[in-house]
Amino acid sequence: MRLIHWSYVALLFLLIWTGAGWRDSGIPAGAAVVQASQSPAESAVPLPNKDGSLKFCVLGDFGTGDPSQYQLAEQMARLHERFKYDLVVLVGDNLYGAERPQDFQKKFEIPYKPLLDAGVKFYASLGNHDAREQRFYKLFTMGGKLYYTFSPKPNIRFFAFESTYPEPEQIRWLEKELAASNDDWKIVFFHHPLYSSGERHGSDLRLREVLEPLFLKYNVSVVLNGHDHFYERVKPQKGIVYFVAGSGGQLRVGNIDRGSGITAKGFDTDLVFMAAEITGDQMYFNAISRVGQTVDSGVLTRRKSTPDPHR
Amino acid sequence: MAENLLELEEMRSSEDQTRFVGSRIGVVSLVAAAVLALSACASGDKQPPTPPATSASPSSAPATERVVGPLTPADAQALATMNDRLKQYVDVHRKIERSLPKLPADATPQQIDKNQRALEKLLRQARVTAKPGDIFTPEARPVIKRLLANVFGGPDGKQLKASIMDESQAAPSAAKLTVNARYPDIVPLTTIPPQVLQTLPKLTEDLEYRFIGNALILLDVHAHIIADFIEAALPK
Repeated sequence: MRLIHWSYVALLFLLIWTGAGWRDSGIPAGAAVVQASQSPAESAVPLPNKDGSLKFCVLGDFGTGDPSQYQLAEQMARLHERFKYDLVVLVGDNLYGAERPQDFQKKFEIPYKPLLDAGVKFYASLGNHDAREQRFYKLFTMGGKLYYTFSPKPNIRFFAFESTYPEPEQIRWLEKELAASNDDWKIVFFHHPLYSSGERHGSDLRLREVLEPLFLKYNVSVVLNGHDHFYERVKPQKGIVYFVAGSGGQLRVGNIDRGSGITAKGFDTDLVFMAAEITGDQMYFNAISRVGQTVDSGVLTRRKSTPDPHR
Repeated sequence: MAENLLELEEMRSSEDQTRFVGSRIGVVSLVAAAVLALSACASGDKQPPTPPATSASPSSAPATERVVGPLTPADAQALATMNDRLKQYVDVHRKIERSLPKLPADATPQQIDKNQRALEKLLRQARVTAKPGDIFTPEARPVIKRLLANVFGGPDGKQLKASIMDESQAAPSAAKLTVNARYPDIVPLTTIPPQVLQTLPKLTEDLEYRFIGNALILLDVHAHIIADFIEAALPK
């Protein structure tokens, strides 16, 4: 018994000394590079705003119908006046509570009316609070499907995944679509984050176990999630950049675990949406708060596939 | 600016540290393995076999499956009664659904609502005598409660329960649940943690599990009605 006790003490010492057990031990080739280049306190600046680039926003956990959701929506409309983004990616929890026709209006159509009127398209994924019938809703552009893919520009492809009920069939579909895509940019979006410093939810380890190998194998550069009600840019994990944008209407103040060790930038004191622009191999991003403050910004370079040495 | 530069610097130093740590790991890994082996030998306990790695085969990884268990033969038999009823329900549901106009892929909220309420009405007519226990059978109920107690009694139980109750403060604990009733509009749909899904019997895509207060409900997704429920299913 004493021998067992001292064995575990010795092992614990070794684990602490090496850091094994909680530290990521390698960054593979083809890793995305992130440069955070702008001050976090500047007012919203329209990114490079180049002709021909893909401009889009990311919004999650938003459909409350509360005044704060409307205020953030106003900031999105204000940005669109100077930065003509084409689409908004929705990372789930699109409608909280009732989903009657009047709720679609109050929680979505009215706050984002200026954007809808301007022809901005919204592409939804579903969160744990969303009824599956939302997939039929025209303005969510899901085409009646729980998971789907679309390519808004050549060489850029988004993959929407349904993470509440990740059935084997869907995993097979995702692998098939990722494998078939020759696009330079592969961006996957869904509700539950694989990496998050949220004290309430945090990283979904079971989902990570299934999805991360696919993302690595098929060269996904960026993953967009919600669920935890704050903004977080996660340090590149095995070369992939993960964003949590779950404070589009809901907010959990002070919920980022500052000791998680994975946060590149976090903001949990106000609502936030993300604006992004892809031009060539770069993706520029801003995280903009309800008062129009840019709370994070930077540019990342896409992952590039490494040649297969066995070919 | 300075803050961001600092972050980048932190990342670089983290990478350096990782390399350094990596070399140390190499040196001590053998020692660690020896310590573990020694512990195992000394204890003499038989460890359960390690589950197969899932990352090698993502398409068949356990996280995407829902596993009912651990079950005794008697429990399995009890849940089989529920599966029979589920199948009967889904057959009725699909038959009625086929009789209605198909919802277009670019529907308006009004169309979604109209379709939902039409299905709701016909299902209610078809199951006019339905009562609690018709799907969650009397045999299956105690088993389900026990399975849930196992999940919520585990080390993550408190956190799991908090995640279910999260954003569901509006859920009135006094809400009167009725089979065939429309899911209450004022109650947000709750999170169902994957641990719960993996424990309970698998459903077709027409149905899903949700909680209202402490009750587990079986929600007809397309009709938005409560097909059945178990009160006090969520352990205190």
